Amino acid sequence: VGAVLWHLRGLLRVGFYYKMLKRGRSWLLVEPLIRRMTGIGSVPRNAAPRPRERLYHFPELCVIGGGVAGLSAALAGAERGVTVIVAEEGGIGEKIPPGMVRRRVDELHAQLRTHENVTVLENGTAIGIYEGPLVPVVGPDALHLVQPSRVVVATGASERHPVFPGNDLVGVWLGRGAARLAGAHKLDPGSEIVYVASTEESLDHLELLRTSGVHVAAVVVPDALSSGVAGGVRQIRNGEVVAALGRTRVRGALIESPTGAERVRCDGIVLSLGLTPRAGLLRQAPEVEVVGAGDVVDPGCGLAEAEAAGREAGATVSYQKKLVPVARASGSPPSGVAREGVVCLCEDVRACEMDTAWREGFQSTELLKRYTTATMGPCQGAMCHDHLRTFVKDRSGSPAWSGPTTARPPARPVLLEDLAAGVRTAIEHRTGLHERHEGLNARMEWAGAWKRPDNYGDVSGEYSAVRHAVSIMDIGTLGKYYIAGPDATEFLDRVYPCSVRGLKEGRLRYTPALNEAGYVFDESLICSLGSKGYFLTFTSSGAGPAEAWLREWAREWGSNVYIVNQTATLGTINLAGPRARELLARLTEDPVDPDSFPYTNGREIEVAGVPCLALRVGFVGELSYELHHPALRGPELWDALMERGTDLGIRSHGLDALKLLRLEKGHIIVGQDTDFDSSPAKLGLEWAIKMTKTEFIGKPALERMSHLRLQRRLAAIRFDGRVAPVEGAQLFREGEVVGYLTSSRHSPVLGYSVALGWLARNGGDFPDEVVAMDPQHGSMPGRVVTRAFYDPEGARVRA
Amino acid sequence: MAFLIDCPNCGRRPRTEYTWGGEEPGIAEPGRDAQDAWYGRAWLRRNASGRQRECWFHAGGCCRWVAVERDTRTNEVHVLD
Repeated sequence: VGAVLWHLRGLLRVGFYYKMLKRGRSWLLVEPLIRRMTGIGSVPRNAAPRPRERLYHFPELCVIGGGVAGLSAALAGAERGVTVIVAEEGGIGEKIPPGMVRRRVDELHAQLRTHENVTVLENGTAIGIYEGPLVPVVGPDALHLVQPSRVVVATGASERHPVFPGNDLVGVWLGRGAARLAGAHKLDPGSEIVYVASTEESLDHLELLRTSGVHVAAVVVPDALSSGVAGGVRQIRNGEVVAALGRTRVRGALIESPTGAERVRCDGIVLSLGLTPRAGLLRQAPEVEVVGAGDVVDPGCGLAEAEAAGREAGATVSYQKKLVPVARASGSPPSGVAREGVVCLCEDVRACEMDTAWREGFQSTELLKRYTTATMGPCQGAMCHDHLRTFVKDRSGSPAWSGPTTARPPARPVLLEDLAAGVRTAIEHRTGLHERHEGLNARMEWAGAWKRPDNYGDVSGEYSAVRHAVSIMDIGTLGKYYIAGPDATEFLDRVYPCSVRGLKEGRLRYTPALNEAGYVFDESLICSLGSKGYFLTFTSSGAGPAEAWLREWAREWGSNVYIVNQTATLGTINLAGPRARELLARLTEDPVDPDSFPYTNGREIEVAGVPCLALRVGFVGELSYELHHPALRGPELWDALMERGTDLGIRSHGLDALKLLRLEKGHIIVGQDTDFDSSPAKLGLEWAIKMTKTEFIGKPALERMSHLRLQRRLAAIRFDGRVAPVEGAQLFREGEVVGYLTSSRHSPVLGYSVALGWLARNGGDFPDEVVAMDPQHGSMPGRVVTRAFYDPEGARVRA
Repeated sequence: MAFLIDCPNCGRRPRTEYTWGGEEPGIAEPGRDAQDAWYGRAWLRRNASGRQRECWFHAGGCCRWVAVERDTRTNEVHVLD
């Protein structure tokens, strides 16, 4: 098929796919064929991405390019004592053929190594300059995110690849490439070559090729350079290669010169026609402090010039907002584009195809680029961007349409796995008891950044242990803080809606945490430790934001308080169940009888030799003690409780059992049962708010809201029957939607299902009877209750 | 949105280490009552196009609030304290 298409190439003009195949469904059929024929690879399905890290750097100076100019810039920066990162696509000096330039690069590199404040990222490709500036550098084993204060772009220049018929044949070389082939790899670019020299550097390359044994059939050279060509080589003065002859490889060259046209037999054409700057990165960064140095702004500059430019760029303290490349880089491209030949080698766009596109009306660089895909290949226009501009300039005559195309990052093809560097790194928070849970075959689940036991394989057994015997749970993920300092009492009193001033030593209080808008965003226990200050807890998910919240107010009020985040350093075990006290008494010598240690009190006691702050609270609705202890001693405490509680029927319970236990008490979980605009009144938490206080966060908002009629509220709803409606089920009253369920479970101890849900007013009043629509079980009638389902008097928690 | 903030404790760090705390809340004007002051603080934002005073919390570092002036158009940041 390929050969057939080769002969039909005249028909496969630019836009062929759009015109012929993008109709109806045909594209679906031919796309796979085209992809295969054009050599577009497929994505391997089984190859797992390499685990790659993401590293952050904040140097003063980032230099892109490790040539003479780049290394000089880095050196100048390093000598001034600033931190420098150099990103070089390959190895330093690796691509430069042996010679003066290579020697200088090696010298500069050696000097750089003596500076500790310089990091050289070899094989590190800078893929763009983003706002910030941010320069992502793709390295062999990491993605480096470099955020410097200043950027020096010294990406150099590549040799111009001229457009003439046959310029894509095998055997057409650029001077540097041929020299590198012969010099570094000892491979000949051909047995008999035509060399086109028009730069100083090209004479060195010619000499290198000759000494390595390549036969030079002719040298096409301008008068000015002819004296530099060694004797014995045939010269064609002031000539130009107008075509390469041959079908798939070079068989000869057609050369035009003032003395006429001639064919020269050869199997290689080496072209040294000057440089075109690799200014893609420079053009990308319009708003960033970036400066270019060396060939990228001054193609063909000498060694000394590049070094001087580099040193100047590296030593400059602050750049102008924008330093554009000098005229030679963005100004008029050198010469016209031939009518035949390949313009864009990456995308295989021919001059005749550009003509077609032009005739079809795509008459600017931006339009031609999009239509023909010229400059859109892997080199991103490094070789053909100038050709594109020349082409437009020749035809339109208007500079407005031949401007440079917009350069956007990335400047290089990037692997998705490089972009994804670091995103697969999940940081798993573990409590000090993680190994104990694993030992008990717990099913661990994500809870925010934490891994927590959901259950230990027997949810109802775990539940029963809490209700009828004794059980422990790891709640070390709670946010835990010490607040101390001269202003601690006043500070907390201003923060929370409950009275902290009136809190006696050893007493604790539950309180919602309100924001300025008067909405509940978390809940806290506050325990007074007397002269030692206060101990605070937050929910697991609120632990992080809580610190920012506390510090924000301390800063705003100028309060003299210490806020010590103990979330990671303290572990917590909740010991709960009717026999909890019996077990605790076995492990401590401190008094734990109900008179010495009643409900809503906190005591510093020693349990199994571990110092604990024990808080008597009742989230699960039974006699319970939260034992806050040094996290490292958690396993010791856990083991002692499990061992001494064996005869009492102790077992550990997980999150699954907890969710039912608290629901039977009608206790909310902030985030699950609450919304962003849940005021205490909506949640039925007015009892926890002391509006007579002069000040607390959210008080003015609550005062304002108190004049408004409550439109929605969270209600406890009872469903009779053995199955609970699904969480999230809609609630109806006489055919009207009145709300939805936020939590719902079947309670084995009560024999019916317990639920929390949001209700709106229905004809003036909140409904007292609702119907839940369950997708599986249909409509399920429920009754709104006003008190906790389980132990409404709270006798069990006070026991 | 890649820029650096100079933390007075930790030094120069990328903004991804910080949590945005919003505009610096307005100071209550004398003569206006507490209700209005709180209302403005809770609900009203200037949302300036240009330089505005903001609070950033160094959550991935030392956990301190840093007051900065940021240009919302260019993300130029000047630390105030």
